[in-house]
Amino acid sequence: MPETAHVQVSHLTKRFGGVTAVDDVTFDVPKGAFATLLGPSGCGKTTTLRVIAGFYDPDAGDIRIGGRRVNDLPAHRRGTAMVFQDYALFPHMTVRDNVAYGLRVARVKANERDRRVNETLAFVGLQGMGERWPNQLSGGQQQRVAVARALVIEPQVLLLDEPLSNLDAKLREQLRVELRTMQRRLGMTFVYVTHDQEEALSLSDWIAVMNQGRVEQAGDPWEIYYHPRTAFLADFVGAVNLVPARVTELADGAVTVTFGPHRAAVRRPRETALSVGQDVRLCVRPESFTIAAAGAVPNGITLSGSVARRAFLGDTMRYWVKVDDREWIVDQPDPGAGAPLDGPVSLSLRPERVHVIPD
Amino acid sequence: MRSLRREPALLLALLAVIVLVLLFVVYPQVQVGVAPGFSGYLSFLEGGTWRIPLQNSLKVTALSTTTAVLLGFVYAYAMVYSQMRWKAFFNLIGILPLLSPPFVVAASYLLLFGNRGIITYGVFGQSPNPYGITGIWGVQTIAFFPFAYQLIADVLSRSDARMEQAARNLGASPWRVFWTVTLPLSRPGLAAAILTTAIYVLEDFGNPQLLGGLVTVLPTQAYSLISGFGDYTSAAAVCTILLLLALGLYVAKIRLDGGRSFVTISGRASSMPRPPVPAALSWACFVGCLALAGLILLVYGTLLVSALTFAFPYNLRLTIEHFQYVATGSNGDALRNTLFFSAAAAAISAVFALFAGWLVQRGEWPGRRLLDFLLIMPAAIPGIFFGIGYLTAFNQPWLDWVDRSWLIVLALVFWNIPVGYQAAAAGLRQIDRSIEEAATSLGASKLRGFWDVVRPMLGGSLRVGFVTTFVRAVTTLSLVIFLFTPPTTVATIRIYQLVNDLDWGGAAAFTVADISLAIVALVVFAFLARGRLVLGAARA
Amino acid sequence: MTPELDRRNFLKLVGVTAIVASCGGASTASPAPSTGGTAKATGRISIYSALNESTNNQLFAAFTQATGVQVDVLPLAAAGELQTRITAEKASPKADIFVGGSSEFHDPLGKQGLLEPYKSPKASALKAEFKEASGNWTGWYTGIFGMVTNSGEMTKAGLKAPTSWDDLLDAKWKGNLVLPDPVKTGGGYIFIATQIFRFNRDEAKAMDYMKKLHTNIRAYIGTSPAAIGEVSGAKAAGAPNWAHDILTEKAKNPAVDLSVPSDTGFEVGAVSIVKGTKNLAGAQAFVDWVLTPEAGALNVKLSNRGSTLEGVASAPGAPTLAQVKLVNYDRQWATDNKDRILKLWQQAVGIQ
Repeated sequence: MPETAHVQVSHLTKRFGGVTAVDDVTFDVPKGAFATLLGPSGCGKTTTLRVIAGFYDPDAGDIRIGGRRVNDLPAHRRGTAMVFQDYALFPHMTVRDNVAYGLRVARVKANERDRRVNETLAFVGLQGMGERWPNQLSGGQQQRVAVARALVIEPQVLLLDEPLSNLDAKLREQLRVELRTMQRRLGMTFVYVTHDQEEALSLSDWIAVMNQGRVEQAGDPWEIYYHPRTAFLADFVGAVNLVPARVTELADGAVTVTFGPHRAAVRRPRETALSVGQDVRLCVRPESFTIAAAGAVPNGITLSGSVARRAFLGDTMRYWVKVDDREWIVDQPDPGAGAPLDGPVSLSLRPERVHVIPD
Repeated sequence: MRSLRREPALLLALLAVIVLVLLFVVYPQVQVGVAPGFSGYLSFLEGGTWRIPLQNSLKVTALSTTTAVLLGFVYAYAMVYSQMRWKAFFNLIGILPLLSPPFVVAASYLLLFGNRGIITYGVFGQSPNPYGITGIWGVQTIAFFPFAYQLIADVLSRSDARMEQAARNLGASPWRVFWTVTLPLSRPGLAAAILTTAIYVLEDFGNPQLLGGLVTVLPTQAYSLISGFGDYTSAAAVCTILLLLALGLYVAKIRLDGGRSFVTISGRASSMPRPPVPAALSWACFVGCLALAGLILLVYGTLLVSALTFAFPYNLRLTIEHFQYVATGSNGDALRNTLFFSAAAAAISAVFALFAGWLVQRGEWPGRRLLDFLLIMPAAIPGIFFGIGYLTAFNQPWLDWVDRSWLIVLALVFWNIPVGYQAAAAGLRQIDRSIEEAATSLGASKLRGFWDVVRPMLGGSLRVGFVTTFVRAVTTLSLVIFLFTPPTTVATIRIYQLVNDLDWGGAAAFTVADISLAIVALVVFAFLARGRLVLGAARA
Repeated sequence: MTPELDRRNFLKLVGVTAIVASCGGASTASPAPSTGGTAKATGRISIYSALNESTNNQLFAAFTQATGVQVDVLPLAAAGELQTRITAEKASPKADIFVGGSSEFHDPLGKQGLLEPYKSPKASALKAEFKEASGNWTGWYTGIFGMVTNSGEMTKAGLKAPTSWDDLLDAKWKGNLVLPDPVKTGGGYIFIATQIFRFNRDEAKAMDYMKKLHTNIRAYIGTSPAAIGEVSGAKAAGAPNWAHDILTEKAKNPAVDLSVPSDTGFEVGAVSIVKGTKNLAGAQAFVDWVLTPEAGALNVKLSNRGSTLEGVASAPGAPTLAQVKLVNYDRQWATDNKDRILKLWQQAVGIQ
């Protein structure tokens, strides 16, 4: 959908000395989307964001914003605003002056400026804090100022570089919701960088998972989570069981695999070429199982094993279940509904919940 | 480089800085450097008269740097670590020697410690020979330990108290913590401080001139070739040797300074207090500092008494005759010139150095290391040659319409660039790039970001640059001696004349007036800036 | 404007300046030096003066009174610095007159073509040794190298004022003598040169003398006036130094005495006109004026120096060239051999 692509990155390469930080990366971010670059540290996601912002010059490739090539535009003419990991508030300016800074640079008239600053401060929930200094604010408040400062200039694209990573868990979750709400209300395109898969999944319309300077997979969170294209992806985005298996039969929409003594027909992934006899991995999320005491009525694929360990996580109970020679991770929702399981158990799994990844 | 092409204003600003540096740093020095010509260098080098002064320079630099750094270290350690009393007083005393023309300290030193010195002869009945290596060593130690103190205190105070607390927590004694944690962590900064002090000592002219006796060092050789024999070309050759030595020290310093500095520099000031040292150590620090402060006060007290008596120390009748003399005729003009030139030069130099520092430290363009080097180079050029270079380069018929004051101010500006530049570089290292990028991403050009964000945040560096340049400008003689004209005479020229005419009382009174004026000016500036009175040597 | 272009422009300008200057030089150098007295002097002249401060003020005031020419003075009691300054300023000279300092400081400037030759009608009566043949500089005062002593210290050490430089080798002088540093000061070097001429240019003998003297010398002092200060301040009993400066100090401190050992050296204080002067008539008027008996007498009064004019009496207590026994001082030889002699001396006294 090129007509609605807002930020287009094509064949972007960026090297630092001999190290290739970003290696031929291409992706489109749709207009109005909450797009996230997700990956472990050093994967090139922040570099990509900074190239989009104009802080780095790419060694190859183009950046387009709203269809216009911006490679030759300086950072301050790109219509992007950035929210930094450490907020980067101007310590010598009050909250109000921080937020007003971009408007001042754009020579917005004083009364108009005041109005917009007040609106934005209210929008991020900082009414009445305008005269404070950055060092008088809590981390969460500083983060809100940083967001307000970027939003107030009404950028075409808002770039956010791990903006929540310095906050504690509770606050992080709260601000996550707020950010998502704001983005929806403004209909603004956000490009967000994080290493936290949970954050990415909960916020994004679209995620690109990066590894070693490349985009491993891009798509909606659902697709990324349940249908990862590689074992790295499956493992990086949440807990997963990755089980070696072999393709024995191929059919339309289905593939039959063997793993250990088991044989099952599961969903055939659309974009992956498979052949009979190929070694693959089965990717099963822990919450896809149903776990019950041994002897329960089988449903779909059934595996019998015994509980090796378990961990109480509050909203779920995680079991490590020994089936044949390997342990499977299995999550049971609402653990308080019954007594914790022990000893022999049976696991059942619907075939469409098994995702096949080529080895 | 591409970022420069995208911002023509930034490119223009950079080119302007480069042109100014080429014009006012490189071009005048080339004039001096090429003066002897190849054959001039050859015959001078063959003559070999430079060998002894070179050896003496190296010897004196090694000796004086060692003692100045040791004393400076004691003073700095006491100020940063101990819980001794009177810290504010000691800090003030430590600043005093930075404010006076060094040759006056040497003259005072002679009165105190010469063979008929008030202390040596009057108190102890000894008649030591104050001239020679020992004399230079002694007075340079007094004159330069405050520089070392400023530099070392800066390094020590930046070391992280948390690590010291952690080491104490693991059961190490204060002594052990100091040797195993503080010192290793500060080592690169300390080494840089030592080398910076060494450069000051190496360049020192006034003290060896007055106390050298038979011992000639490179700066005095260069000067005596000019003043005694009018031999400009040989003097220029000596200057080139000196410049190469100083540059060697600078390169070593930059090597140590850059890269692997372990001194924790974070924007977040560590609020953790330093672990306490034993009370006995604090007392020892107090006594040590008191002794050093006493020594300094003695030197300046001698100066003040000299200014207020007929002919110290032979005729101790009180008089204000010397001060009356300072107030007569064109002497007031000289003081006023000193004030105006120094203030103008300090303001321009500090701002220009800050801007140049930002361009070099934050820019990504080819040749920035060369500009970095050129901005540091003036520190390695003896003032006398900076002055001669300016005269040769800019005393041109087509420039005759320019008032000579500007040439003096420009010379002061660019001779002192390294001070502000290094302060800016140190300050920039403590400002995260993202703060500038934030301004850029909000629509400000890089230049605008510099002005709105970097400049206000580097207020400290700007102050260090301003104050140090001001102080150096007030106290310099060698730089202006070839540039002044009758209407642009400055205080140090008058003091020099009076010392030459053996009018010690007048020289002392003039010096007291000069120092007082500088102090009053600094207090006024501090008041105007509504900031703290930050006095510092060129920070490493 | 790129730096490259800028520098080229700059060099071009410098080149043009040099050509203009050399043309001017050629046109003024070829004809015989002007003999002055033709044009009426008016306006202002700028004087670079190596004279003492007190001398400057009154001497120049008298000149203005006599001629109506106003004076801007740049005082720097160090002739070598003024010489260097005139050299460095050659592209656009700022001085009209260079006055004071031994002729050694004026002579190289003349050789470099930086002086405007002028044979003052008033100089015709001067002895040849007091003026440069082509008129580059003219000697108008003399300074004699003498000996400053401190009566108190002399008595303490049982010393008598030296009548010959050889007297200074007496062991009683040990530790009581200071000397202006020969490497750093003109006076110190003139002292060594004097010894060489005293021994009929037998350098070995002269160095032997300096070596023996070295054992008596407590310190070599960085400037000539400072060496007088040492003696006046009773830090030393005596020092070879300029007679006129010694007399000036004696006026302040009665413990100071002057004596002039035989076979001593002297300086010829010169005046010269700087090439490129914008007021040649005024500059010539100044040269003419300092060579008048009135100016000579005033300078004698102010500085205790002698006059090169026969009829001008010397200061009370001041030696005259006629009274003292002078060594046959070859100024040119002393200037030309300076580096070599200083090196010889350094070897002799064991600094090398």
